[in-house]
Amino acid sequence: MHLTQKLELFPDHSVTQILFKDVKNAAELRQSAVEGKINGALINPTMLVGPFQVLVAANKAVHLQKTGKMKTRSLYSEIIFNLSPNNNISEAFKRFGISDGDDSVMVVLVHNQDESQLLSDVTNKVNGRQVPVEDVSSLSDAAKIKKLYKVTPQEEVCGTLLDAVVCRMATKDVM
Amino acid sequence: MAQKSCTPELLSGAELMKQGAEARLYRTRFLGKPTVVKQRFPKRYRHPVLDEKLTHRRTTQEVRSILRCRKAGISAPVVYFVDYASHCIFLEDIVSSSTVRDYIASCPDQDQDLDLLVQKVGRILARMHDEDVIHGDLTTSNMLLRLHPDGTKPRHEPDLVLIDFGLSYISALPEDKGVDLYVLEKAFLSTHPNTEALFQTLLHSYTAASNKSNAVIKKLDEVRLRGRKRSMVG
Repeated sequence: MHLTQKLELFPDHSVTQILFKDVKNAAELRQSAVEGKINGALINPTMLVGPFQVLVAANKAVHLQKTGKMKTRSLYSEIIFNLSPNNNISEAFKRFGISDGDDSVMVVLVHNQDESQLLSDVTNKVNGRQVPVEDVSSLSDAAKIKKLYKVTPQEEVCGTLLDAVVCRMATKDVM
Repeated sequence: MAQKSCTPELLSGAELMKQGAEARLYRTRFLGKPTVVKQRFPKRYRHPVLDEKLTHRRTTQEVRSILRCRKAGISAPVVYFVDYASHCIFLEDIVSSSTVRDYIASCPDQDQDLDLLVQKVGRILARMHDEDVIHGDLTTSNMLLRLHPDGTKPRHEPDLVLIDFGLSYISALPEDKGVDLYVLEKAFLSTHPNTEALFQTLLHSYTAASNKSNAVIKKLDEVRLRGRKRSMVG
């Protein structure tokens, strides 16, 4: 049910996404993430259009870590920051990280070859129901996403919402 | 602590598509999707500091123009990732497409489809210039026509994608837009012999679609008399 993609640019790194619904312990999860007890990024799935968006953010985070250009303190906070269309770090956490009342969460892990141990660690911590990662599209709040990324109706004529979002994420540092 | 970018390693195993004076194009897969990587390689004939500065500016300028066009509803490849350390842009690969150049060359003369196609080109360029994007290298090779995934016939309404914004910049001056069209005219008429009428159709559709076409066409006439470069005498 989870989705693992190898990063072509960093062949010894893979990204795994795990989606949970009916999550009961969001506040507790957020707290452990803040304390650095969870080896993963916890993302609010309503702000995600699809799994590819997460891959773009994760790839960029690994690249910036390798080149020593990260804007935040850790790889996982950098993934959350990369999802945001602007350069405000606290706003990025507020919008793309999970909040105490959330009932769904996307967990993103960056790892070497074998992920089974990490995977079970995370599934043990989340009190919720794991669902296929592809279901993330059914949770997305398109209106909120369009507003935050400032996607115009005419832009959607020449491409999908995912295209528009990915383009902004990839180019935000030079806008 | 800072390491070098990993992109060159990926590219060493990728298929080289094209090599120009400015950059190399590779075809590869990125995050599972077919991707074109445009790498601006170092130019040894320039001073390293100047080279770095120019290359960096052109890379950022290119992605800025792509985003600006897309925001205005003009199709351009999606930018997946930009590596500023090795000056590589990762772009959507427009699969099953033909350049407008190849398409026109393969069409019999006086084809009705060609009229529709160049009218569409005129409308798109009008919209681009109304957004103050100057492409800088307009040729029929820098326009892609999306084809049916199965066959070779274009869809009913020609679906055009503009590519190669490497020389693009933002300007509201009719002069710059006029030169942009002049470059296209030169390229169009030399790659496609005996198509003066077709290019006129393109210009007519540009004029009809653009809000500010009067000044641009006037400048185009001026530019035709003197050439692309402005006279610096006096």
